[in-house]
Formats: sequence, C-alpha cells, structure tokens
Amino acid sequence: MTLPTFILKNALRNKRRAALSISSVAVSLFLLVTLQVALRELTLPPPSAGAELRVAVRNKISLTNPLPVRQRGIIEKIPGVESVSPFTWFGGRYKGELGMSFAQFAMDADKLQSVFGEAKMNLEGYERFKATKDACVLGKITADKYHLQVGDSMTLDSTIYPGSLTFHIAGIYAGTPDDRNMLFRQDYLDESIGTPGYVGMWWLKVKSADDMAPVIKAINAAFENTAAEVRAESERNFQLGFISMLGNVKTLIASISTVVVFTLVLVSASTMSMAVRERFRELAILKALGFRRRELFAFILAESFGLAVAGAMVGIGTAYALYTYGNISKMTAGIFVSFEVTPRIMGVAALVAVVLGIVSAVAPSLSVARMSVVNGLKTLD
Amino acid sequence: MTEPIVQIRELTKIYAQGEIQVTALDHVTLDIAAGEFLALMGPSGSGKSTLLHIIAGVDRPTSGECRVQGVNVTRLNESELADWRNHNVGFIFQTFNLIPVLTAAENVELPLLLTRLSRAQRRQQVATALAIVGLADRAKHLPRQLSGGQEQRVAIARALVTDPALIVADEPTGNLDSHSAHEVLGVLQSLRQEAGKTIIMVTHDPKAAAFGTRQIHLEKGELSA
Repeated sequence: MTLPTFILKNALRNKRRAALSISSVAVSLFLLVTLQVALRELTLPPPSAGAELRVAVRNKISLTNPLPVRQRGIIEKIPGVESVSPFTWFGGRYKGELGMSFAQFAMDADKLQSVFGEAKMNLEGYERFKATKDACVLGKITADKYHLQVGDSMTLDSTIYPGSLTFHIAGIYAGTPDDRNMLFRQDYLDESIGTPGYVGMWWLKVKSADDMAPVIKAINAAFENTAAEVRAESERNFQLGFISMLGNVKTLIASISTVVVFTLVLVSASTMSMAVRERFRELAILKALGFRRRELFAFILAESFGLAVAGAMVGIGTAYALYTYGNISKMTAGIFVSFEVTPRIMGVAALVAVVLGIVSAVAPSLSVARMSVVNGLKTLD
Repeated sequence: MTEPIVQIRELTKIYAQGEIQVTALDHVTLDIAAGEFLALMGPSGSGKSTLLHIIAGVDRPTSGECRVQGVNVTRLNESELADWRNHNVGFIFQTFNLIPVLTAAENVELPLLLTRLSRAQRRQQVATALAIVGLADRAKHLPRQLSGGQEQRVAIARALVTDPALIVADEPTGNLDSHSAHEVLGVLQSLRQEAGKTIIMVTHDPKAAAFGTRQIHLEKGELSA
C-alpha cells in the first residue's frame, strides 16, 4: 500500500457521498463555465472581417431616432468614404412568433457587397437582390431553422411599421459572425410606408484604415448643430456601446456566478467536514501511530482536492464537449450563435476547483490538528 | 541492575472541567523494567488509562516527569512526540481500531508508511508481524471479515510491526470472549518472552492480569500496591 492508495481508499469509502460530492462540483462548475461563456459572448462579440473599415452612423440622441435621407449625399462626399448604405431596423415577426429570432434590416442592395463583404453568397443571389424590389437575402442559420430556400417567400409583421411585408428570398449568405439576419431593400420599405425620408442609421465603408479617424470626425462635424446630429463611430465602438446597455445583465450573470461559487464552497466544506468528523476516531489512531498534523492535513487536503478536481474534470469537460461539438444555436433557440469555452474560462473554473479543494480542507484540518489523541479515541464510531 | 525502560516521577494529571478539577493521577512514581509485562489494574476512574496515555506519549501530565528509554516524553513537542511514538510505542486498543477500508495487511502496514522502508521491505515486515500473531493467511481480509479475536491480533501485529521496545494495551481483551481473550493474551505473553518486548496492559480482569509478570493497582490516582 502507498499513501496515495490509502487516500484513495478513504475518499471512496462512501461511494455514494463521493459520487454526490463530485456531481455537485461538476454541476456547479458546468454552470459557472456556462455563465462565464455567456458573459463573454454577450460582452465580447466575435470580430467581423472588414469591421476595421466599417463605420456606424446613428442619431446622436438615440439609436431609435431616425436619420434624414439627405445626409447620405453629404456623407458620400466626405474624402475617404468608399460606400454608404442605409440600415433600418424593421422589427418583424415571422409566422406569428411572439419573439424575434432573427433581425431584419433594410439597406441598399447595391452596397451589400462593398459594405458587408464578408456575407458570402453566389453572384446570382446578389444579382437577384439588386434586380427585385421585394427581394431579401437571408442568413444561413435562419434559412436552415425555418427550412427556407432561394425562391421561397416569407411574410413579416412589423412591430414598428404598420402592416406586413412579403419578401422573396434572393440568396442565402454565410460567413459573418452571426448568419441569422435578414437584409432587404430600403426602397421596398420606403415604398410600403410612403417614403418618409428617414432611415434608421448609416453604415459605411472607408477606403483604408488611415481614413477611419478623419472620416468619423468629418461626419460628426458635418451634422453638428443640425436637426439630426449624428454619432459616427467604428463598428467595434458601436458594438461595445450596444453591449454597455446590457450592464444589468452582466451584473446579474456575475452575481449568479458568485452565488454558484459561494454555494459550492459551502457545500463542499460541509461535505468534507462531515467526512472527516465520521473518521475522527481513525484520525486519532493515525495520530497515535505517529502521523503528524501535517500528514493528516495532507490526507484531508488530498481527498478534498481529489474530489474537487474530479468534479472539475467532469463539469468543465462536459461544458467543453457540449459547447464545442454541440449545436449551440439549436440549444439556445438561436440566442447564441457561438459559445466558445476559452482556455481562460476553463482555467478560471479549474482555479475555482483548486481553491475549493483547499478551502474545504481547512476547517476539518483545523479540527483534526486541535484534536488530542485521547479525545479522538473517545469519539463514538 | 539495568536502567528501567520507563521511569515515572511525581506524575500528576489534573483535568479541569469548568470550575471543577479532577485529579486523575496524584504524584505517581513508578519504574518499569525492560521486558516486563505489567498489568495496570484499578477501578474505573482510577487513572490507569491516563497513566498509560502519558507513558505512550498521547497525553501530557500536569506536572512530573515520564522518561521512556531515557527520553523525557513530557518535554517533546507535538511533532517530536509523533515521531517518537512511531518508533518506540506500539498501541493496542480495546476496540481494535482497525481502518475498515484497509485489509489486515494494509492496517498493519500503516505505521510503516512513515518510515523510509521500501515497499518490498514493508511487505516483508508486515508478513512477519502477521505470522507472529498467527494470521498470515488472513492478510487480505478486511476487518469485517475477521472475528473479534482476529481483529485484535491484527492490531497487535500493527503495534509490533515497527519493532517498538514498548507495547501499550488498553483493555485489549475487554471486547473479546474468553477464548479469544486467552489467545490475545498468549500472543502478548510470547512477545515478552520471545521478543523481549515490554508490555504495559490496562485491565479490569484479574485473569488477564495474571498473564503479566507484575500487577500494580491504582486507586484514585495513586498507586495502592
């Protein structure tokens, strides 16, 4: 027999409790990893190809305030601007669904390739989109979800504009970080709502990275002190600004994570204390046989650590396997399209397990250290 | 005359229970010679187990001195005392106190895990110890698969596996039937006779005490005979 064998036999002497302890750690760490990945996905959306040359221009007051169409000509004339497209939120519901599982935006069909070049589609798709007023292009995830194909029609009831619009699918694109959106033509929207002369916002592409800062500055300056002042910013800053609106969600997830970890520590510490208390007499015998405090502490620590690490391997491993090889879009009903369990998140969860193993061993170890052999021997089995 | 293996001088142990003080040992002075089989007798609460615990280094006196093989065990710190116990004292308890998840051989091997012996050497010593107590064929049995007498013999094997000079036994036959008790006492007697071990045994039973080479009585913390 070796010391590790002795520790293993002790840890597994009550197999049901060991299994439950490992399961509780596993479930908690699985939850922790899930929350951390969700938090990361919400706060750090994956960078999009071409984002470094894209600028978002929105109403300075709020994203929900529209911008006048006349701004387009002014923006297009600013040096460094390559192409400009309107981008208007439609807020449509498909097939009477209560929520919106994909977003729809009206834009300029001629500018799709130049502004959002990462949306890959066959040439026929682009041509059909440009040629047909009621055409739309659909992200592959949404097309797969609803089993839609090129040539199919789809009707959306807008939650912003009166009535509904029917579209014909001109193409199905893929290659963006979130292939769910539907894009259709701004002129179709304008026609259906009586050409109000407003768009939701502008997306534009600059000629080079060096043009980014001057273009942003020039756009902001161009509409200063007008009825529709704008806020132009890089795509990255726009995303971060959008995400900052999720402040409460972030706090909520962080709070739940803290509660998970705290509860985990309490449960594990209690389990270890129980396991050690049951063996007080045996530990007293080990002391009588010559085992020192540090050796007994090592036994308890190894046992506690072993259970925590076993739980961590199961919990983190399951999360990794599920989110890496599973269909996250399907699992989350389309809320998340990517759910990457990064090495950092796995490291944090593993660190929690390590700290858990150590913290859980402290209280029982202190009791054993304080226990005299004589008192320990008096403990009832 | 050789120096006694155990020299106890003016040993006093007082337990404080709140405001009440209970004197378990009252200025006890005693010498135990090497190779003796001492039966320590007395009624419950007379202090015999306390005396045994102090000699074995698992309890500390309030005052006085206890030397074992020339070492004043009352002066050793916790770590030194643990080390000293491992090398010099073998314990036998009334309730056997074997670890239930370990086999007989593994229980016997426990004290050896603290030594620098190789696995092969440990196995050899365990086999020898189990053979001495007549349980070589039960090495792989778990405690629950053994009778009470066999469990106590495994405990004896565990006590002698490090080859200590002193073996202390606290009511070793208290939980055994007369046949098993006789077997266990026979093993202890042969350890003294054949291996020259010094054995100190606490017992209530005069028949058990008769196996010893000397009997002493404690009464209210004092030696009475």
